[in-house]
Amino acid sequence: MKDDKSPPGLNFRDLSQADKDLVDKMVKGGSGPVTRRDALKLAMVTGVSLTVAEQLLTNGKSVMAATPKKGGSLRMASNLHGPNDTLDPIVFTSTIDYTRGRVTYNSLCQIGEGLVANPDLAESFEPNQNATEWTFKIRDGVTFHDGKKLTADDVVYSMRRHQGENSKSVIKSLLESVSEWKKTGPLEVKAILSSPNADLPGLMGLYQAKVVQEGSTGGGIGTGPFVMESFQPGVKSIHVRNKNYFRDGPNLDAVEITAITDPVARVNALLAGDMQIVANVEPQAFRQIESSSTAKLLSIPAGLQMGICCLKNSAPGNNNDFVLGMKYIQDRERIVKRVLKGKGTVGNDHPIATAHGADYCSELPIRPYDPDKAKFHFKKSGYSSAELFVAPVMSGIEDACLTAQANCAKIGFDLKLKKVPTDGYWGAVWMKEPLNVVSWNMRPTANIQLGIQFAPGAAWNDTYWNNDRMGELLKLALAETDPAKRHQYYCEMQTLVHNESGMVIPAFSNVNDGLANNVMGIPNVPTGQVGGSEWPEYVWLA
Amino acid sequence: MMTRMVMQRIGIGFATLWVVSVIIFVATSILPGDVAEIVLGQSATPETLAALRAELGLDQPWYVRYFSWLGDMAVGDLGISKAGGATISSLIGGRLGNTLMMAGWVSVISIPISIALGLWAAMHPGTWLDRIVTFGTLSLISVPEFFIATIAVLVLAVELHWLPSTAYMTGEESFWELMKALAMPLITLVIVVSAQMIRMTRAGILNVMSSPYIEMAILKGVPRGRIIMRHAFYNAIGPIINVIALNLAYLVSGVVIVETIFAYPGLAKLMIDGVQTRDLPLVQACAMIFCGTYVVLILLADIGSILSNPRLRNPK
Repeated sequence: MKDDKSPPGLNFRDLSQADKDLVDKMVKGGSGPVTRRDALKLAMVTGVSLTVAEQLLTNGKSVMAATPKKGGSLRMASNLHGPNDTLDPIVFTSTIDYTRGRVTYNSLCQIGEGLVANPDLAESFEPNQNATEWTFKIRDGVTFHDGKKLTADDVVYSMRRHQGENSKSVIKSLLESVSEWKKTGPLEVKAILSSPNADLPGLMGLYQAKVVQEGSTGGGIGTGPFVMESFQPGVKSIHVRNKNYFRDGPNLDAVEITAITDPVARVNALLAGDMQIVANVEPQAFRQIESSSTAKLLSIPAGLQMGICCLKNSAPGNNNDFVLGMKYIQDRERIVKRVLKGKGTVGNDHPIATAHGADYCSELPIRPYDPDKAKFHFKKSGYSSAELFVAPVMSGIEDACLTAQANCAKIGFDLKLKKVPTDGYWGAVWMKEPLNVVSWNMRPTANIQLGIQFAPGAAWNDTYWNNDRMGELLKLALAETDPAKRHQYYCEMQTLVHNESGMVIPAFSNVNDGLANNVMGIPNVPTGQVGGSEWPEYVWLA
Repeated sequence: MMTRMVMQRIGIGFATLWVVSVIIFVATSILPGDVAEIVLGQSATPETLAALRAELGLDQPWYVRYFSWLGDMAVGDLGISKAGGATISSLIGGRLGNTLMMAGWVSVISIPISIALGLWAAMHPGTWLDRIVTFGTLSLISVPEFFIATIAVLVLAVELHWLPSTAYMTGEESFWELMKALAMPLITLVIVVSAQMIRMTRAGILNVMSSPYIEMAILKGVPRGRIIMRHAFYNAIGPIINVIALNLAYLVSGVVIVETIFAYPGLAKLMIDGVQTRDLPLVQACAMIFCGTYVVLILLADIGSILSNPRLRNPK
């Protein structure tokens, strides 16, 4: 949160430790409001002007009130779990896995607010001039939970697990540009790339890129803020504070992680006080939580994509007029307002949301809801009906499709909805049926987000839209370090997808979770549920 | 006579288990997607799928997989979960305990209540108390259990804060804490299974009450309570035991909705998870336990009926 009243650079957080101590002492020592005498004292010691000193003190006091408290424990209920819960980072696929991963392990880099890659186990990282090599300097003195010291060998081993024919890593294809991981010193690792990639640190912050001990598959022993005490797949796990953590350490003494698969029961557990964090709250429950006196809603604007795939390799998606008809019939504002209850942002038929920050193309106007244009394009396409396969792959997607169906009916187009279960959906329907729905979690960089779905020939190119220029631009943007040029490349890509691909994206959902009122300090990371699962180290109880 | 019957039934029981295992195997194979596809989900690529399939042995033909499973099962090895890599016995162990504990408590509470209420209603047919019981049980049979469960949570947990909304066990609680944690699912299940048992008890006894020998007893001037306890109850016990057995088997295998709503880690939910991940060894193991439970309980019920009714011992 940015405090508008304080001048830039005058935040308690930005002070040097000595000044912080001084403010601390003065604020704690002197009870009651800030007096002019206090301000004078601070001004004399630090040499800042009187008004600045006064502001500092007031600001310092409000920061004091929000200083994390140590101690306590909480229970978190995720949305899915089962016997396939795992502690092996390379096959993490669900929020509960991501959370346990963040509790137990660390990555080389960590995704922070504003999608910045921050140092984690790597205390610094640098590319060579054209970003074809990255050197990661590993923090000294980090130990695993079993007492073994972290070395470059562990890092190289962990990263190599994503490579090779037999790797079952789910992010294997994202890390394909790394041709080799090399140990260049006891605490230094080098990634040698086959093509330039300025975003590699962002990739190192992916849930699956956690560092495990050499020779292991994780097994619950990491360098993370909590030590695993027990783990029962599909039931729960208990984690206690890691006393030897290399940073300041977590605020809580213990966390318990479980899941309640039924969404209504999950919210009830939060309201009844049995759970302090519940992941993934459905729009139907927003009002119930917001009007409750014991719980609050955490809604972080994100790029959680609600998509309709029109496959370009089959009818009717191979007809671009049909796709344009589908795009113009989307009442984006209404979907955000009614279906997502305002907790979302409109989509512009490309996968980049405003939450992606600088890479979002604000120059490209949002495609309006235009039934006349839709009618024109549908007519030109020669189709008067189509069948869309819908499964509840994310909250609201069925209602969004119903909205489209109703709007289609108004212009005489018969959009049939075939409801199918999510069970088996990804193998049997997605990327197979000509028209289907999809949801994509937000990825930490715009390049991954665009590349994963729209790179020519990509494994998950779910509309089979292969555009050579797109492939070129993805590479150019990755190697580009000039922000203006980079933005231009990303804008061109978004425009291409917006106009030519088979993807219809009416909206992005916020990431919505429920918290007990006293749960504080959850970072504003939009890449997944509950602050991109980055909460365990920072959360505290008021 | 009795021993022969029991041996025969045990033999049939094993045959049933085998048939069920084949059906489950075929059914799970028909479902779209295999465990590799489900585990990788949206993030599957042909290469990672192939790697995972090879690791799990899914690249072998189905009959090889089936018979290797059957062979392991025959020597008591339940195998390893395809989805998570844990041994099936470790996954099932704790959950079977939870399921049996829940089923046990529900039976301890509901069976005496049901039989007492059923008998009592049968002793006073047509009175307004009987009508209340009849009306109440009929309504409760018609209401789905998730509805009872949700209402109970809203009232007792969210509004009144008397009971926890989830049956969350830490494993270290005292007896009363455990009872408090289990209270909600217990209440729901007791309501669901009692209704049926009460009705069956009442109907079974009233049915017997219309037979000639009861008429004889009435004409002799035997008091109604004594007629029911001495003459009618023993003759009605067969169907009652059968209903109880079916309800117990349901408590072991069929309470998935209650387990889901209260996040209770029981066996039924585990089987659903297994089906969802196409985790064949896990599904098979659960199915064998459920099927075995039915076989054993129905066998016990039949033995009970025969013991209580000498006529059944010499079938014509």
